[in-house]
Amino acid sequence: MTASTLSLPRHSPTGDLRLLWLGAALLALGLLSIAALSLGARATGGAEIWGALTNYDPDNADHIVVRNMRLPRLIGAGLAGAALGMSGALIQAMTRNPLADPGLLGINGGAALGVVLCILVLGVTDPAEFIWVALGGGLAASVLVFLLGGGSQANPLRLILAGAAVSALFLALTRALLLVSRQTLDVYRFWVLGGFDGIQPATLQSLLPFLILGALLAIIAGFGLNALMLGEDTAKGLGVRTGLTRLTAGAAIVLLCGATVAMAGPIAFAGLIVPHIARWAAGPAIGWSLAFSAMFGALLLIAADLLGRLALFGGNMQAGVMTALIGGPVLIWLVRRNGVRKL
Amino acid sequence: MIWTLRLSALSLQISRRAVLTAALLFSVVLATAVLALTLGSYPLSPADMREILTGGGTAIQQMILLDHRMPRILTALGAGAAFGLSGALFQTMMRNPLASPDVIGFNAGASCGALVAMMLTGGMVLPGAIVGALITASVVTLLAWSRGLPPYRLILTGVGASLVLTALGDLLISRMDAQTAADMAQWLIGTLNARSWSDVALVWGGLLLLAPTLVWLHFPLTRLGMADDIATGLGMALSPLRLALTGTGILLAALAVSTAGPLPFVAFAAGPIARRLIPNGRPVLLAAAATGALITLLADTAARAVPMIQLPAGVFSALIGAPVLICLLLAQFRKGTL
Repeated sequence: MTASTLSLPRHSPTGDLRLLWLGAALLALGLLSIAALSLGARATGGAEIWGALTNYDPDNADHIVVRNMRLPRLIGAGLAGAALGMSGALIQAMTRNPLADPGLLGINGGAALGVVLCILVLGVTDPAEFIWVALGGGLAASVLVFLLGGGSQANPLRLILAGAAVSALFLALTRALLLVSRQTLDVYRFWVLGGFDGIQPATLQSLLPFLILGALLAIIAGFGLNALMLGEDTAKGLGVRTGLTRLTAGAAIVLLCGATVAMAGPIAFAGLIVPHIARWAAGPAIGWSLAFSAMFGALLLIAADLLGRLALFGGNMQAGVMTALIGGPVLIWLVRRNGVRKL
Repeated sequence: MIWTLRLSALSLQISRRAVLTAALLFSVVLATAVLALTLGSYPLSPADMREILTGGGTAIQQMILLDHRMPRILTALGAGAAFGLSGALFQTMMRNPLASPDVIGFNAGASCGALVAMMLTGGMVLPGAIVGALITASVVTLLAWSRGLPPYRLILTGVGASLVLTALGDLLISRMDAQTAADMAQWLIGTLNARSWSDVALVWGGLLLLAPTLVWLHFPLTRLGMADDIATGLGMALSPLRLALTGTGILLAALAVSTAGPLPFVAFAAGPIARRLIPNGRPVLLAAAATGALITLLADTAARAVPMIQLPAGVFSALIGAPVLICLLLAQFRKGTL
């Protein structure tokens, strides 16, 4: 299986260009965050936002909107996007397959099954209570995929087949359960859209440790993955412990993705497309690709959440739907415009 | 043990194990079909069946066998074979198991088309699905085309289309009333309930029409598994070939969806399973067709076996196909051949 990446012809990022991109992305992130805090059904100005963040007044309606509704959404979308982008970059580097998506590891399928069981068996209908079952289901499914895929000796093709098989298995179980219970379908069909509606600061706090640990493991795995991209034997010759590297990368993907699914439901696309854009801007070195994937992912999801909130779409379009609606055409456009170049 | 058949410029190599495995596969399919005909809330013995087929039996027995079970089972076999063939064509041509029609958006297109039709007209689910699948397939192929059909362009474009259509489908389901959503959830899984002889005629007629093309395409298909420049060096015109293969694969997928709905996993799994049963995966198309037919028939029989509720076959296609694929993966892993 050869790896390839989307790229502009004769574009290979140099250090200067990379820093330019980095600056541009940070600027965009800042501007977008301000927009996300001020726009919505109730437009708020800069002074109110500043006040809400620094000098919170619980009786001021603007402050309440900014501080309790928009800020958690902004942080949640940013964290989820960064996590999805990083896990996408990791799985594509690890399987050397540019089409690999974190969803392939069965995390989304496992989380969905956990949620459906939770509704069916425990009668839970509040999405805030899905967090731990979604996380548990996602972790269980991905460990299963990883073991079937050959554990630390995972070869790319096998991992993909195992992932697809386990995902399909879980999806089939989920659908069967949904057919049995109409009430379950009624709760599930809204959760599956994926979004940051009504996200609680407490949720973010409880998931933060998973995200931080995942990001740390991602950075550690990055050192070995760089060598692994040169091929198994070369990496071993360079003294990289390939099995350990894969295991670390796998754990990072599972933690980052699992926490995201638990927070916002299954969000398609970010993990697949963001690394391509990041590699185009930063080159194939995994350290840069991780950093850029995190930033572009955050940008993508904050933008998706903001767009979905605006009146344009009736003020109530989930971020997960928006990422697919924006991302699909973008991916196809990139493919058409740049062709595909072998790495 | 390898035999080589030569016919002017065409040659075909057949190994003894491939012949044996293929023969075994087909006998298993046949045995399962006979078994499925006997099973049901109204059991029929093989002796009963012989009698009914020669014009005997009671009116009820005749109705059950000839009007219900036979069309249903023959449709399951035909649709499964079409799914398996379609998946194997794309996967072999693109050298990537992810290139199966269900991964690159055909099933998502069919589902989305069905949902849109339901939203707009309150019915017309099946025509909507076929139109959706065909439009998706044509648009994906057109968008991916650039002086040929490079594998990665097709897969990336297809995955993009699939994600958009899946999201749209989820969105449409969330905007429907609970009753319609539940009905659609049933159909969107793929089912073989209440199939008639016209379905049998459609799917088998389609397969027969496409058979000569498939036989012809079978020769270059195995060589497409090599790198592009080698295949070109062997004198293969890649672009027209890929276009012909893609067109055939699209027709097969549409045929399957139009008779069984978007059954999950059959198109994806038939090829890899067949490839692991038969050494170096030849003749891959025949084996994939038999595997697809078997998975679909088993799934439908399992769905019929559940009493009280009419479960769709699609619930079981992945439940049956996925463990088989997993077991084969594990077995290969132990032998160290993967």
